[in-house]
Amino acid sequence: MISAGTLHVISTELTIGMFALSGVAFLLCLLKKGPDSREAVAHWALLGGIIATPIAIISGVNASPGDGIDNPILANKLLLSMASAGLAIGILLRRFMGGKVDSRHAGIGMTAVGLMLVTAGMGGEFSRGETLLLFVPKETVMIFPIWASVILILLGLVILGKSAVEHRS
Amino acid sequence: MRLKIVIVLLVLLLSATVSTANPGGKGDDVRSRDCAGSCHASSSSNGISTATLDINFPNDVYAGLLIEVQTSVGNVDVSSNNMVGMALLINSDGAKDLPANGGWEIVTDPNGGTNNYVEITDSFSSQNIVNRSWTLRSPSNPGTYELYLAVQHGTPEGGVAMSGISQAKSVTVEEVPENLPRLSEDWTPTNLREIGVETIITIDTVNVDSATVELMNGAEIITIPVVDNEFTIPAAVNPGTVQWRLIMEGEGPTQYSPWFRLTAQEPGWEVDETALYLQGVALFLLCAGLVVLMRTEEEDYLKDYDNTSHLNESTQSAEEYSNPQQVVEEQIATTPEVQQTPPLPATGLPEGWTMEQWAYYGQEHLDNLAKEGVQ
Repeated sequence: MISAGTLHVISTELTIGMFALSGVAFLLCLLKKGPDSREAVAHWALLGGIIATPIAIISGVNASPGDGIDNPILANKLLLSMASAGLAIGILLRRFMGGKVDSRHAGIGMTAVGLMLVTAGMGGEFSRGETLLLFVPKETVMIFPIWASVILILLGLVILGKSAVEHRS
Repeated sequence: MRLKIVIVLLVLLLSATVSTANPGGKGDDVRSRDCAGSCHASSSSNGISTATLDINFPNDVYAGLLIEVQTSVGNVDVSSNNMVGMALLINSDGAKDLPANGGWEIVTDPNGGTNNYVEITDSFSSQNIVNRSWTLRSPSNPGTYELYLAVQHGTPEGGVAMSGISQAKSVTVEEVPENLPRLSEDWTPTNLREIGVETIITIDTVNVDSATVELMNGAEIITIPVVDNEFTIPAAVNPGTVQWRLIMEGEGPTQYSPWFRLTAQEPGWEVDETALYLQGVALFLLCAGLVVLMRTEEEDYLKDYDNTSHLNESTQSAEEYSNPQQVVEEQIATTPEVQQTPPLPATGLPEGWTMEQWAYYGQEHLDNLAKEGVQ
């Protein structure tokens, strides 16, 4: 039986490794340098990272001492990783729908990678008390009221639906 | 370009400093003695601790009952954060060494939890001995058992992770006498409480006719009566620990329980988890949607500078009216002012005028001529 802590280490290293590789490939896309395979590497690595992300999130919440989310760093980690996963999924969908890998596309891919790396950095502070993110306000959590989140969810679904319809047409 | 990348990578590699694995500690937990070998990859970054380690048991240890064990760590200089990780173990092999493997139960560790590994911050030094109390439930089978105290800490200079383990400390666990007043084997003390809330503790005893509680708060000891197997510990004003023990009287000899520690903590950070999870989903969907909806730079460029629609309208007009003169005539014909074009004078159109100018300014010209004729 693998404990949640061990599974979190495995899934986190998988996620961060994949995202880091994707970030380097997106950087090459942005610079328009390197091999032609950079676009494929960037997107496939991002897909691998996204697959491992939910496992990392769930095992991380279970591995944390205490009951549930009882630390602002954990809450910020959850929000950042979800935003990063959203950007990454968006990048992959856009590419799947035939979007061109221009500098804007590569920039958003790198933003998704950056958010995920910040999430990992905050995990280091949570577990070991060490961080390079000295000036990031990690103890402050901005929580929307539930109604605002519901509106944003509906808005997101409408946008995704509209994009799907446009893609089909 | 490649040379620059290599130089940057070299600078980054050379700027890395040698450090111990977990200088801030790993947190209290149930841990085997694995970190001494597996956390630190190189033997050059490990060291053997010079700490003097000891474990003291009470005189009588009965099977399945609670006991208080004192551990001491002395003669050791540690890193600047004054932290030492202590672990109670049943062997020094590094495997199957948890107290639970030997039938022991950690009821209260020195930090108020139930872990066999705790991190203690205190005035550790080569001239000082730091003592800590553990409350354990002894194994349920009588016999001779061994316990070890292991430590992990840094050094004042840093860079080396020190580890050490005590000699085996044996203890004989005896069978419980028949009429011994005691706490029930199923009873477990409360370790934590919140500030500002008084704590009602219910006890479960065996062979006890009457019981009282001694509450130690600092140097002061207060006696609290036990009524219907319950007693109340007053609310704490500040974070801290109070200790209490039960004095049990019955047919057998009077018994004193171990000192139990009750730690008062400030309420932890709380969040509405439903709102948090919903916001996470909202961020996920919104970010994904906005990225999918985003146009490419080329599409943006075309949108900003594309005048095809205007061109189409012009083309349509040009196709419909191939003769410009016809267009002008039709426009004149459909314009109300043109329909009121004044009649041409007998001398004809003034010199240099066009019909279009006459249509607009002809009446004014005729009016001026009429005024001059009157004068």
